[in-house]
Amino acid sequence: MEHKKFSKLELLKLSLKYSKLNLKCTLEYKFDRFFTTLAVFVREMVSIAVMYLILTRVISIKGWQMNEMFFLYSFLFLSYCIFIFLFTGIRDFDNMVYTGELDRYLIRPLGLLYQVISARVDYCATIGHGAVGVILFLSTYNSVGIDWNFRNIVYYILALLGGVIIQTSLFMVSSCFSFWAVRTTNLRNLIFFNSRRFAGYPISFYPGIVQKMLIFAVPFAFVSYFPSEYFLHKPDLSVFWHGCLYLTPVVGIIMFTLVYIFWRLGLKSYSSSGNSMY
Amino acid sequence: MYRVDYFAGVINTLVMIFVNIAIWKAIYEADDNLGGVQLKVVMTYIALAFLMQCIFVMEDYFIESKVTSGLISSDLLKPISFRAYVFSYNVGSSVFRVLMQLLPTLVISIFLFKLLPPFSTEMGILFFFSAVLGYLVLYCLNFIVWMSSFWFYYTFSLVTIKDALVMVLSGALIPLWFLPQWLFNFVKLTPFESIFFTPISIYLGQVPAADIKTAIIKQVAWIVVLALAGHLLWNAAKHKLVLQGG
Repeated sequence: MEHKKFSKLELLKLSLKYSKLNLKCTLEYKFDRFFTTLAVFVREMVSIAVMYLILTRVISIKGWQMNEMFFLYSFLFLSYCIFIFLFTGIRDFDNMVYTGELDRYLIRPLGLLYQVISARVDYCATIGHGAVGVILFLSTYNSVGIDWNFRNIVYYILALLGGVIIQTSLFMVSSCFSFWAVRTTNLRNLIFFNSRRFAGYPISFYPGIVQKMLIFAVPFAFVSYFPSEYFLHKPDLSVFWHGCLYLTPVVGIIMFTLVYIFWRLGLKSYSSSGNSMY
Repeated sequence: MYRVDYFAGVINTLVMIFVNIAIWKAIYEADDNLGGVQLKVVMTYIALAFLMQCIFVMEDYFIESKVTSGLISSDLLKPISFRAYVFSYNVGSSVFRVLMQLLPTLVISIFLFKLLPPFSTEMGILFFFSAVLGYLVLYCLNFIVWMSSFWFYYTFSLVTIKDALVMVLSGALIPLWFLPQWLFNFVKLTPFESIFFTPISIYLGQVPAADIKTAIIKQVAWIVVLALAGHLLWNAAKHKLVLQGG
């Protein structure tokens, strides 16, 4: 399966070409895409609006104030935005298998994962989610009392990237199952988006079993809660092991390695869905 | 495949109730009588709102797909009104959801979340009546948005923005009495309040007995206004319809 004929530079050039194509596709229907982006933005703002309305009324929940909660939430949106920008193909992988589009990639002389990743970019989702994340971040980064020195900036970037890899791995787990011809979109949406809903609020709000689930099973706690606790040091952190604050990138890398092995395994037993629609 | 969909619906509702109740519990830790409303009342409100949401699901892209595919031309030829067909299609699937999704979810949530019973038997009956009216208000509002597919062909953005407004303003996610006063006053002037907030407030006994009549009349009035607007749009759409082949 490996094809080492291409240099890194050539691959990079090819990805740029792919993203140019994608951008052209997106801009083909400017009016429609603009409204799609706006709709994604508005849809994602619903949870923010509800949080805002609750917190204008009660000021703080368990010692968390509005700007601190928004700061926590910004991690979810920013990392999801980067994930979609880089790895839309992994989100849509089930569909590629289902429609037979994957077979097209398999006969090309390039790494499969490379093609899956670079073939698609969902700009509407990227900008829609990204805008929410940027708004939340810009309106809070100054007021939550963070000293933006070199060390903190490096931590922030690593934590964000770790969050991206964690979410990528979660999506890849479900794409693995589609090799064995199981349609898993529903199950995945159920697990992924419900856990994400949990992770919008500090995990200390939830009963112990949910906290454990968000740390060990679907580790969204490392995407939003622990990174923001690193900066905010709220008293409710004392329940958790202090080392968790630094684990986000590690969790991401471990998860991705395991999932990647599983993915290769799945690819070996892949047989096409039958007829290609292309 | 569809079994997964079905279980996903049940689990989704339960998870949403669970998350929101956990958040409200955390809020009530600091103040156990927020604005004169007990935690138990809010918990029941949240659970009811999500239970209603699992029935108030409608096929948002049904008309759009008929228009873009051109199948609407053969539907218009059939000896049944197209609008009656769309309406019965949605009501039918909602009735199915009552049996297959609502009942199991309701039974589980009664045990899991210890819901309060209706304020009184009378209120329980009125709640049921008002909830049906709420469904109709939402249907008429949706119908107006669906009609836009005759002009725009792709209605994803409009439908999504409509959903967002309904979620925030109709009290589906947050009891409206927690809203800032100015926003609450504004929502009272819109049909949104009639969808989820009115029936649930009646269930909880939050509406004084004297005002229930007004609340229900308001719901009926919104149904009439929105249905009329939908009717006008439909008449305009009939003449607008352009089919590509079909």
